[in-house]
Amino acid sequence: MKVAVFWGCRILTSQYAYEMSVRETFPRLNVNLVDLPETNCCGEPIKSIKESAADYLATRILALTNTTGLSDLLVPCNRCHFALSEAMEKLRKDDETSKKIINTLKEEGLSYNPKIKIWHTIDFLHDFVGTEKVKKAVQKPLKGLKLATHVGCQIIRYSDLGRIDDSENPQKLNNLVNALGAEVVDYPKKLDCCGGALMRSHPNAALSLASTKLTLLQSLSINGLVVSCPECGLMLDSKQKEAAAIAGAKLNLPVLYYTQLLGLALNIEQEKLGLQLNQSPVNQLLLNIER
Amino acid sequence: MSMSKPDLILREKVLAKTRRGVADCFQCMKCTSGCTALKLLELKPHEIMRLIEWGFLDELVTSDIIWTCATCLKCTERCPQKASPYHAIMALRNIAVEKEVKVPEAYLKAVSQILESGLAETIQKIVTRDAEAFDRESLKLPKIANPKGGFQVAFMKILEER
Repeated sequence: MKVAVFWGCRILTSQYAYEMSVRETFPRLNVNLVDLPETNCCGEPIKSIKESAADYLATRILALTNTTGLSDLLVPCNRCHFALSEAMEKLRKDDETSKKIINTLKEEGLSYNPKIKIWHTIDFLHDFVGTEKVKKAVQKPLKGLKLATHVGCQIIRYSDLGRIDDSENPQKLNNLVNALGAEVVDYPKKLDCCGGALMRSHPNAALSLASTKLTLLQSLSINGLVVSCPECGLMLDSKQKEAAAIAGAKLNLPVLYYTQLLGLALNIEQEKLGLQLNQSPVNQLLLNIER
Repeated sequence: MSMSKPDLILREKVLAKTRRGVADCFQCMKCTSGCTALKLLELKPHEIMRLIEWGFLDELVTSDIIWTCATCLKCTERCPQKASPYHAIMALRNIAVEKEVKVPEAYLKAVSQILESGLAETIQKIVTRDAEAFDRESLKLPKIANPKGGFQVAFMKILEER
């Protein structure tokens, strides 16, 4: 089957490992990705500047999806997923602003289709592909690996909007990790935020939030942490050293994207999954797999 | 804040923007007890809700406190009154921008970057743990397709609308 994909800025400009691993793993599950003909910011950071401008950006992505002729859109970033979901909700209510946005897009030769279904990596694999199918595709079960998961914020909250999992006890990412043969370790403060959004206004506080979360996780005797949002990947993996420096902590927790882990279980070469790009010491985790 | 007078016109504007019941907040503090920015940045969403209700908008709009929200959405999720401090804070930020109050530089940079390339971020080279540098091209990732046509003009127009 074919699905359109909107990557968002963070993945396209720095979180290449997420993009590579999605591009490698999805076709192995018989899912072919179709990139949008062009791309723009989802509008999430612009919500702070001007709501209508943010909604224009988000709606533009939905209109671009419409040009592919596909009705399923994969959005691997939590923040993009939220921005698109909120814009859709507003368009459903069809207020003045929404009408204006639709008209503006018309002038650009684009049309909005309300029937598009937005998926995140987690619910797409869990509910659309299905955990059983994921399990069956595994060639190299990740037996003996103990992992924690971090789903992030904006794909599980706020429930009224229709989110991908339970807001207080999300389990889908855990189920997907289990499907690969690895063990999931639960931990307190699982719902704590990575701090990503604060990088624009209070970077030290943002890094401090990341280091608090990582310090707690490190005390769990786990092999690593699994994430599925590029903002969380940025804070907990790419900026792990910076976070350690801010907090005066020693951090060395392997952090990787679920799709990288999935790729390992599907026996895909590490380099194709972008595992050389992770800034946290993923080698430790990889050694445990090879053993 | 002793001499402040409530700004009722601006209050109406924020209330219209939030489209949720700021007035329904009964100060249970569920939002503040779970707030990501409480400990480090002293954000107390229930206080923001009360100050909006009282009309002290100028104090809020000019304060850095509205820029301490981590947008984790726990307050919106947990509010028993569906009053959503998150949406109130976003409305306050929008007014701060409109009034040209001091806005964190990185947000303005995001706007200019979107105008330039369509994206809010700039493309980075990644240096690996083994000190090897990679970019999209060397990783064999497809070229980014920047927006065409009337995008810039349309986005600018919406930004400038009052």
